Amino acid sequence: MESELGFWAFSKIVVLPRLLGGMYITLQLTLISGALGLMLGMVLALFRISRFSILKWFSLLYITLFRGTPLLLQILFIYFALPTILERYEINMVLDSFSAGVLALTLNSAAYLAEIFRAGILSIPKGQTEAARALGLSRHQTMYKIIIPQTYRRIIPPVVNELSALTKETSLVSVISLSELLYVTQRIGSKYLRVWEVYIWAALGYLIIVMVLSLIAARVEKRLEFKGGV
Amino acid sequence: MKKNEVILSVSHLSKQFGSNLVLKDISIEVNQGEVIVIIGPSGSGKSTLLRCLNYLEVPTSGEIHLHGMNLHPKSSESEIDAFRKNIGMVFQSFNLFPHLTVLENITIAPTQVLKISKAEAVARATLLLKNVGLSEKINAYPRDLSGGQQQRVAIARALAMQPDVMLFDEATSALDPELVGEVLKVMKDLALSGMTMVIVTHEMDFARDVSDRVIFMDKGLIVEQGTPQEIFQTPREQRTIDFIKRT
Repeated sequence: MESELGFWAFSKIVVLPRLLGGMYITLQLTLISGALGLMLGMVLALFRISRFSILKWFSLLYITLFRGTPLLLQILFIYFALPTILERYEINMVLDSFSAGVLALTLNSAAYLAEIFRAGILSIPKGQTEAARALGLSRHQTMYKIIIPQTYRRIIPPVVNELSALTKETSLVSVISLSELLYVTQRIGSKYLRVWEVYIWAALGYLIIVMVLSLIAARVEKRLEFKGGV
Repeated sequence: MKKNEVILSVSHLSKQFGSNLVLKDISIEVNQGEVIVIIGPSGSGKSTLLRCLNYLEVPTSGEIHLHGMNLHPKSSESEIDAFRKNIGMVFQSFNLFPHLTVLENITIAPTQVLKISKAEAVARATLLLKNVGLSEKINAYPRDLSGGQQQRVAIARALAMQPDVMLFDEATSALDPELVGEVLKVMKDLALSGMTMVIVTHEMDFARDVSDRVIFMDKGLIVEQGTPQEIFQTPREQRTIDFIKRT
């Protein structure tokens, strides 16, 4: 019966209510893995420029691994392979598809974000570090009070790039049956055999999330410009 | 003001970059309240020497003493940090922190390093800004200031730590000619106030005018040192004579 509805009625009654549910999951995936990825990425970036070679090598290895293999593979590995590996060591960890998705997206985006942060830190002129150290600020204080705050504005564009990519990459989590936006879309599409109506709405869903993200970023950038222009 | 009391002493300092020996066994003693100007051709090692004095450049060998503190190439990071609290430095390129206001630039080190209260740091900064003639710029950001103003803030920033010695590394070299005077005036006032200063500069008139002692360096060595009178009017070494003639 629903298959006889017109485009708008079909959209309103069947597609949108379910898609909004999927979009909510997508948004959660994006925000949680984005936030965790930013934190982990900063840690990895600091490791990468650390004086201690063990941290440097760990970070380099991490970034190489997570940038060098497909995200889809990482998702499948974490969801299907990781529990069996852990089982061998008698660790029983059951990851539901949402947690597995968040873990994979976090670990993956952190690798890219780390390189963005590292580039940002290295782009600050050496004179800034020298001036801070000459004043007696410690290495630590120099990094957190002087160097990192100056990177914010210049890393916003590449960070937004990465977070937009992340938003869209959440769709890959559909392979482990998490009912995020794309998964829901596919299900409705094949159930009602009305494909284009469904996919158009899904595309719009992703677009909206990315656009809101860009708008927020533009605001932040503007605000930072007002504060000293760095 | 000039007590004959050694405040900073450098003994047998050498610095090597790769196979290039840029400082060769330098020893200097700086008295309390003394103003020393280091001159010399570019590549003579004068800036490197200045940067070694607060360990921005770690010497290959030799020792530096300040107030019973002693730095040598194996000194720990915390010893170096403690040492630097007592030595202010002003750079050729100002190096103000662009994300902080003028006030924050001046208060950050006293509050973070000396752990003095915010109110006291602000009071200190306000007074220093008045002394360098920039009271009205207290809430400005560095990008809104001219080069000369930025350098005066940089001097105030270093002074806020109440250092025993101030180092000036070609502090006026990056300035437009018409802005040099305002910075030199602040430096001169500081010298008159009794601050111990070690200055690397190309401003020969300033050296003649303000310094107690002039050190002429060439090829990593101290060639000659003496009063401005001695160095500028009656230099003894041929290299000094040639250099003075050229400038």
